[in-house]
Amino acid sequence: MAKSDDCVHILQGLLVFGNVVIGMCGIALTAECIYFVSNPHGVYPLLKATENNDIYAAAWIGIFVGLALFALSILGIIGVIKASRTLLLVYIILMLITFAFEMASCITAATHRDSLTPSLFLKQMLERYQTSEPANNSDNEVTKTWDELMLQNHCCGVLGPSDWQEYTSAFRLTHNDADYPWPRKCCVLNAQGLPTNLDACKLGVPDYYNSNGCYDAISGPVNAHAWGVAWFGFAILCWTFCVLLGTMFYWSGIEY
Amino acid sequence: TMLPLLPLLLPAAHAIVELGYRPVLTQTPTLEGLTTASTFVLDQPRCVFGGYDNADIWLVVALDKAASAFNNTAVPGTPETAFQGFPDPVSAYMTLNATLANYPCPKPAGDITVLRVGSETSCARDETRPTCNGPLPGPGPYRVKFLALQGSEPVAETAWSEPIMLRTAKSPSSISTTDSGHSAGMIAITTILSILFAILLAGLVAMLAFWGSDSCGGSSTFSKPESVTVRRYNTHHVYDQPAARL
Repeated sequence: MAKSDDCVHILQGLLVFGNVVIGMCGIALTAECIYFVSNPHGVYPLLKATENNDIYAAAWIGIFVGLALFALSILGIIGVIKASRTLLLVYIILMLITFAFEMASCITAATHRDSLTPSLFLKQMLERYQTSEPANNSDNEVTKTWDELMLQNHCCGVLGPSDWQEYTSAFRLTHNDADYPWPRKCCVLNAQGLPTNLDACKLGVPDYYNSNGCYDAISGPVNAHAWGVAWFGFAILCWTFCVLLGTMFYWSGIEY
Repeated sequence: TMLPLLPLLLPAAHAIVELGYRPVLTQTPTLEGLTTASTFVLDQPRCVFGGYDNADIWLVVALDKAASAFNNTAVPGTPETAFQGFPDPVSAYMTLNATLANYPCPKPAGDITVLRVGSETSCARDETRPTCNGPLPGPGPYRVKFLALQGSEPVAETAWSEPIMLRTAKSPSSISTTDSGHSAGMIAITTILSILFAILLAGLVAMLAFWGSDSCGGSSTFSKPESVTVRRYNTHHVYDQPAARL
């Protein structure tokens, strides 16, 4: 009898511990997803323009899943301590629903991260940056975002200034090639926002223009965002899986 | 009529000096804009035209196929050599007028001495500026050479350069955005999570199916830790009963 009681107590203790961890991870997931949704690196307009902002949808789902995990973990702790079949059944079913949502969020984040290739951003930039007939407001947003991106990260184009030379673009329609081989924002600017040496920038003299591409500045935050949501969610779900299996086992052993 | 012929013959007697220099695209420093769609960058002809202090040094830009047909007696600033007529009907134009003072020799180390052909956009359509250094109209190929004129007579020339091709821009619709593969991480997440979810669902179904029966959990059933109070019955002690009954 004592041995079986010990087993029961150990199982209860493990389940309570598992639920505590789930609760804390739920809060952490909510916090992480709120951080991503707040768009700290300013790349959201570019993602929106690609009509592919499912990574943000995944983060939004993550916020609510995190809160749900926290609430359900409290329910689980109460259910385990009281050994109530009803409470635990409710807990298991709600947890499975939450599991499904979080699974969708992880898979969405991972899949759509894979579709954000340099070619996608290159095509979008060439077709929309400084277009003279903006089709809608998102074109203006794309121009503003690229200007800020190139200014703050000291970069030019997606892969480099030769993007503007290798392909025709909306920019090229309004700015001739001899005066603007690449946008002025690609030049090294002084404090007033003017190129330090315009002729050197047009020639492409090193140190007077920004020679590296902006793809790293975009993909860095997007990768951190997507993999943060996807892998952290995956880890939480693996842990939740173990706790749920243990709970199911515990439930089937409760006398009714 | 013989008289005008004499002055013409004299310069022919002094043939144009062919300098061994060949104009070349700038190699140092490495320039990103060495060739664009309508411009290219040449090294200045430093230490090439030594001794021609009074000459005007012109740059001749010609279509590759018309280079050999260029006549050195062409006069700059005329419709036959005007930039605005290039490439049709003018097959070679003259621009970037300079003197030896513009190309001092030796070249100071560290200075970037280049000529950007095609940089003047303001006069590209201005017929009154036939020596405009306007943007080139197509990808080429082009050849260039420097020609020194004293007065209006050619006195020295460099060799023709190698053919220079400019860049051609492709359309952005040629960029393919659909061939992005799936990363290993995404496949791992999808498969593992699907398997885990399937196991959990199976467990839930098993749980509910065996709700009624005790078969699975028989050996490990345990009682709920509810407070089961055993009421203590106070037995009436015999000595409490009144002896009067008897």
